[in-house]
Amino acid sequence: MLIADVAGRYTDLVTTVFSSTIAMKAWFATAALALAFVQVTTAARIYGRLHFLPERGPAVARLHRWSGRIAFLCTLPVFFHCVTILGFQTPDTRVAIHAVAGTFLYGVFAAKVLIVRDHSLPAWALPTAGLTLASMLGVLWLTSSLWYFTTVRFGF
Amino acid sequence: MGRGWRPILVGGAVVIGTFALAKAQIFEPSAPAGPTVVGDVDRGETVFAENCSVCHGAGGTGGGVGPTLVEAGLDEAAVTSAVQQGRGVMPAGIVSGQEQADVVAYVVSVSSPSQ
Repeated sequence: MLIADVAGRYTDLVTTVFSSTIAMKAWFATAALALAFVQVTTAARIYGRLHFLPERGPAVARLHRWSGRIAFLCTLPVFFHCVTILGFQTPDTRVAIHAVAGTFLYGVFAAKVLIVRDHSLPAWALPTAGLTLASMLGVLWLTSSLWYFTTVRFGF
Repeated sequence: MGRGWRPILVGGAVVIGTFALAKAQIFEPSAPAGPTVVGDVDRGETVFAENCSVCHGAGGTGGGVGPTLVEAGLDEAAVTSAVQQGRGVMPAGIVSGQEQADVVAYVVSVSSPSQ
């Protein structure tokens, strides 16, 4: 009984702020993608590939860590609805790509977190994992939020 | 096996777990949930125009990627299920609450064969 009510209660909760669950997911995914951009930018600064940020010191590293943490939090409400309520569906190419990328997202995230903590791995491992993760977020955004904003409506 | 495999193994396990969770759809609504909300056909027409007509055409007359709804003979349960859970390329939860009730009332009205 409690489980049967979860989808309805979740929708009720979400629609106190957004017009619908899909609008909520579109905006949280957009926030996550924006923060992923901050992640890639600050990582490039840390690796000395960009020079427009003020310094390579702890402020940039702190910004990198916190943008990652908040991006992860932004994905959780989306993950909950997509995975536990909608499930894995492949009715057309867009949804199929979205479902596959979404299935891999937290796996790549878990691998990246482990790579960050393992200093014995090759130097290319971390940027590769980070760029893969950001790219997957980009694919997920293109196949969901962009589609929603351009096909259904642009609004909360 | 070296430590270098650990991220790949853990990441792979998370992917498999996510896929299993998605296939299980543990919170999938089995039936329209929540208290009964009475829909208003006139308000539903506005909701439909804003959210559904891109795919189903103006007034549900077709022309987009969604099927024609006019005189399709859909009942309230079928329309509610499609709106809540999605169908084909149609995503779930485009509208909810009172808007859902209104648009369901509108779609049922235009899909009636007597229209």
